[in-house]
Amino acid sequence: MYKRNVFIYLCAVACFIVLLAGCSGENAGKTISADNEAESELIYASAKDINDMNPHFYAGSMPAQGMVYESLIENTKEGIKPLLAESWEVSNDGKTYTFHLRKDVKFHDGEPFNAEAVKQNFDAVQANKEKHSWIKLSTKITGTNVVDEYTFELVLSEAYYPTLVELSMTRPYVFLSPKDFIDGGTKDGVNGYHGTGPYVLTEHKTDEKATFEANETYWGGAPKINKITSKVLPAGETTFLALQKGEINFIFTDDRGTDSIDVEAMNQLVDSGDYQLVKSEAMNTKMIVANSSKSDNPVSETAVREAIWHAIDRETITRDIFNGTEEAADTLFSANVNYAAVELKKRDYDLEAAKDSLEQAGWKLAEGSVRTKDGNPLAIKLYYDSNSSSQKTQAEYIQSSLKEVGIQLDIAGEESTSIANRRSTGDYDLLFNQTWGLAYDPQSTISAFTSESAYLHTTSGIANADELYDKIDEVMVSTDEDTRKSLYADIMKIVHDEAVFIPISNGRVTVVAPKNVNGISFKQTQFELPFEQMSFK
Amino acid sequence: MGSYIVKRLSLTVPLLFIISLLTFVLINLSPLDPAVVVLQAQEIPEITDELIAETRAELGMDKPFIIQYLNWALDCLRLDFGDSYVTGETVWSSIAPAFLNTLKLTFVSSVCIIVLSIALGVICALREGKIADRSIRGISFFLTAMPSYWLASIMIWYFSVKLDLLPTSGMDSYKSYILPVIVITVSYAGIYFRTVRSSMISNLNEDYVLYGRASGLSEKKITMHILRNSLQVAISIFCMAIPIILGSTVVIENVFAWPGLGRLSVKSILSRDFPIIQAYVLILAAAFVAFNTFSDIVNAAMNPKLRKDI
Amino acid sequence: MRTLKNLSRDRLAIASLIVIAITIVAGVFAPLFAPHDPAEVNMKLRYASSSWEYALGNDHLGRCILSRIIYGIRPSVLWVLVALILSVFIGAVIGFISGYFRGKTDAFLMRICDIMLSFPGYVMTLAVVGILGAGLENILIAFVVMKWAWFARVIRTSVMQYAEMNYVKFAKASGIGHWRIMVKHIIPVTFADIAVISSGSICSMILQISGLSFLGLGIQAPNAEWGMMLNEAREVMFSRPELMLAPGLAIILIVSAFNFVSDALQVALDPKLTTSNASLQEEEGKQPVYEYIRS
Repeated sequence: MYKRNVFIYLCAVACFIVLLAGCSGENAGKTISADNEAESELIYASAKDINDMNPHFYAGSMPAQGMVYESLIENTKEGIKPLLAESWEVSNDGKTYTFHLRKDVKFHDGEPFNAEAVKQNFDAVQANKEKHSWIKLSTKITGTNVVDEYTFELVLSEAYYPTLVELSMTRPYVFLSPKDFIDGGTKDGVNGYHGTGPYVLTEHKTDEKATFEANETYWGGAPKINKITSKVLPAGETTFLALQKGEINFIFTDDRGTDSIDVEAMNQLVDSGDYQLVKSEAMNTKMIVANSSKSDNPVSETAVREAIWHAIDRETITRDIFNGTEEAADTLFSANVNYAAVELKKRDYDLEAAKDSLEQAGWKLAEGSVRTKDGNPLAIKLYYDSNSSSQKTQAEYIQSSLKEVGIQLDIAGEESTSIANRRSTGDYDLLFNQTWGLAYDPQSTISAFTSESAYLHTTSGIANADELYDKIDEVMVSTDEDTRKSLYADIMKIVHDEAVFIPISNGRVTVVAPKNVNGISFKQTQFELPFEQMSFK
Repeated sequence: MGSYIVKRLSLTVPLLFIISLLTFVLINLSPLDPAVVVLQAQEIPEITDELIAETRAELGMDKPFIIQYLNWALDCLRLDFGDSYVTGETVWSSIAPAFLNTLKLTFVSSVCIIVLSIALGVICALREGKIADRSIRGISFFLTAMPSYWLASIMIWYFSVKLDLLPTSGMDSYKSYILPVIVITVSYAGIYFRTVRSSMISNLNEDYVLYGRASGLSEKKITMHILRNSLQVAISIFCMAIPIILGSTVVIENVFAWPGLGRLSVKSILSRDFPIIQAYVLILAAAFVAFNTFSDIVNAAMNPKLRKDI
Repeated sequence: MRTLKNLSRDRLAIASLIVIAITIVAGVFAPLFAPHDPAEVNMKLRYASSSWEYALGNDHLGRCILSRIIYGIRPSVLWVLVALILSVFIGAVIGFISGYFRGKTDAFLMRICDIMLSFPGYVMTLAVVGILGAGLENILIAFVVMKWAWFARVIRTSVMQYAEMNYVKFAKASGIGHWRIMVKHIIPVTFADIAVISSGSICSMILQISGLSFLGLGIQAPNAEWGMMLNEAREVMFSRPELMLAPGLAIILIVSAFNFVSDALQVALDPKLTTSNASLQEEEGKQPVYEYIRS
């Protein structure tokens, strides 16, 4: 009685195989046009919700905050430029900054933007100092004064050369309407998200989408694209499909350096003729961060970290995993970063060198494929962002390379928030990370070496950590260019020799947008995009 | 009947108690110290032992275990499941809308499963052993053996991308329901229709059917009779099916980016957001108990014999 | 014996059994069957299509897909079998005790089963993974913890049924010890029932474990697992759909095989079905209700 059953069953299987096989042949050419979307709307995919948009906290999505809030000044390729402040003066001792504010700026709720509002925002940030300790500026501010309605004065305890750069960051020194404050501050949450930026947050459905509409009264002129929606979609093929279908029409590298679709999928979209691919110049260094302070793990040994460095084949990673869109990086900062033109010993891909380094450090290969020392196996765990397919592939690839030199690398994918949490608590051996990016390198990344929420655990286990921290403190307050140069050179040499930051490639910000969008450009930071400059043809 | 309901409901109380206790114990097995996690969530740069002790006291963690449990359980009854480690917002504010979305998907799918499996079950039972029966059964074996995410991916590709008929993901309009519901229905109908079929067949062979036929009752009346009996089986199955589907939409929600509990839970697991995982387990276990109780009561209402069985 | 004889008449069941046997053998002796090391990375062969050397082509790291499928049998099928055997064993012990001795022991054990069964399986598996972290062992632990109660229930019913049989009653009356009665008269007859429920529930377990691996909560790299292979293939599903085929079909094949065996076992066990078409398959009805939690 089953004979026929078998037959029918087999037929059904065959049908599916044919269906599936059919898919492969035709889909390359056919992509559903994105044109049927509203002409003046951008919908971008994001693996995460925009989250808490309070600009004085760190939970929110940075590109979204960048649309809504603005800082006093802007960091551009040509240096610091005015934004909400038209001009500024720095006192001779470098301790007092006076900002002359624009007079035509209003918050989204109609409140005037003036020196009083600036002061309130600064005070709100300073009231929650511990949170901002990674920005050294927050530890130097001693006074915030309203000089007149449109003049604001910032007083520091000592001269601090990256002041302007840190004021230009996406957060926390940006401005929220004081009307949204709770109890005169922002540290216990806020009532609304009214900034001064080109876009207004009009709708937010947690874990579904957030809508931003053009600020018609924006002081720089209303942006041409009326509506921008951030849609929460799982990275990978869901996002790719949604792009093909036109349900979304925009993606970009997110604030954790993760692309939501892989290079090949991007190329496929471009080939379809509906999309364009725009890449920024190299912005940062993607790297693996090693926890030198984890003394019970082999990763706390310099020799092991060096071995890992030697065992990573950057050429293959950039060529095959990134399809040649990124360049291999051999140092923490690429040479075009300020102060980074330093002679450092290059560590090539060299499995023999890796093995030598491990042998010398006492990690011997007795039986099996994992080296041991005093009975402890050479086992290390690497965390990657579960939303990034390229990180996972890199992790697997590095895993197999390390196996060859006798290191057992376990890999685990987690959400980026969890990884950030591990970084700040030191609960990791290795994790993927990236430098802060052009505008912030090297000073912000380097000052983050001393910050618990960033790389303190990475650096605190190295032999001359104290010397390193002293030099970092020194460089931030030094006013002499040559001293700075030599201090930075020393700092970079120390972390390079200790191999705590293992560089992989130089990352870029990548945008996939409909073909008819003009004016796609980049800021000096990987955390924001200038949406207000874009328009439809 | 009234006393049965009271008895049955009273049974759920100890059950819920044990469930909540187990959930509480389970979460306490986690290697992380909640006090430390709370401090980290507040991004306190220097976490000292004093600070940890202080926070432990604040959280009531210095009290005996049973008091901790009671405090927690009372909070849960007020729907206060604590704050998410990741967003800092209350767990309820993220879990409530997600739960609603999952419920919507579950109910729509369950209705489809009921309709489809009854229809197929009846057809197969009446045509037992014939081609229709055998082919439906054969296909159902194939469909139930298929990983649902695999089927889902193919469906998305075919219906959303190739034919451009339906959205690929999300929950924007009634159209968004179609694909996930089809996938869930296909995965489960194959199982449940077999149940309907076998209960129909056993009914067909019951004595009353034979007697009825022998004494000249019309076929229509007999069929109605059989249907009524089978319906009972069907209802009991579907009451059971709802909580099972509720708990197992995880994969489907992730494939279709459905903003429901399944997706929330996987996200929370990957970001180690324990309060959300805890609330998720508790809410679904409670829902499971509730649906099971409901199905028992419905069954008892239809079949008085079952009422003694408690 | 009659069961086996009945079964042997069913060619589909024989075919399914052969598939299962081959799968198990291939899994156990994976190093002999696999043409390559499943973890051997070769970026030059990234996404290479099938060739003489690599029959099913290569994956995103240039690893041999065929070898990975073969090694994938271990977590996807063999470990699931181990978990199944464990939970059946626990369930059987408890089921025998409560079904045979009845009374208070029975009531107590069944209450515990009720509690275990009132937890939704999938949710608890997720909870265990959530707390102990992703990984194959944790899922398997969760399986054993969640499933034994269900087996205990079914086995108890079947033991009770046989314990009521006249020959068992006779044995009891003639003063044969409990242990002997169980071993000689009850275990052999309930064994068939156990086979039916196990073969049925392994399907759902295989699907579940692949589903969890698909979500990235199961086995961790570089180990090969079918669900994880599908997850990797999904990344490039629309440029290289063929990568979805092999692991997907592997799952379908093995699950269908278990499905057919389970079905055939039921038919073979029920003598009525060999003479007439009247199917009174209660198991078929009951089993899916509790047990079938799909991925």
